[in-house]
Amino acid sequence: MKLPKYPLKAEKSLMVFEFTSDGPKGQIRKLVKYSETNLKDMYNLAFGDRDEESGEIDDKSISNNGDSDMVLATVVSTVYAFTERYPDSWVFATGSPKARTRLYRRGLTKYLLEIRRDFQVFGLIDDEWEPFEKDVNYEAFLVKRK
Amino acid sequence: MNIKELNKKKTPIVTMDESLKKFKKQPLFQDKVDKANEILRKVGLPKSKKQYS
Repeated sequence: MKLPKYPLKAEKSLMVFEFTSDGPKGQIRKLVKYSETNLKDMYNLAFGDRDEESGEIDDKSISNNGDSDMVLATVVSTVYAFTERYPDSWVFATGSPKARTRLYRRGLTKYLLEIRRDFQVFGLIDDEWEPFEKDVNYEAFLVKRK
Repeated sequence: MNIKELNKKKTPIVTMDESLKKFKKQPLFQDKVDKANEILRKVGLPKSKKQYS
């Protein structure tokens, strides 16, 4: 997506990324992790805030740092980097809390045409995967590089 | 490459930081991974990959 994005850091396997959100609430370090699942080539994408003092990662916080589009664009850019390194991979994502799921859906909807040029995109509803459509409350999302 | 050029690229430029390696082994977001495994066990992959290509 040709949107402003935060600079990214990663360890060499590109399964853990970090960037820093910068907004009215200050600088908030974000960690993005791709975790293996029980299915081959299927990875779970999750991200959350990294607490400077405790070192803990909170994936349920809503930062409200006024930069959700830029945060989402940065997370999507990690999907480009990850799937370029692992072209056969599927990336699964689900939101928690629900606001995070809505954030994913909003981002996918907003940039659907562009994302579809590069990825197959699916949404999960009623225990079935279907090609992602706008305005559907999906429980989870799945993407694969074309 | 300046920030404008960087923002035009889909695949980002990533700075290597091996201090992040410690998070690779940690069971971060484990509730989400468990949920993903549960969903995938139940519904699997999309039925026909070709259908949606």
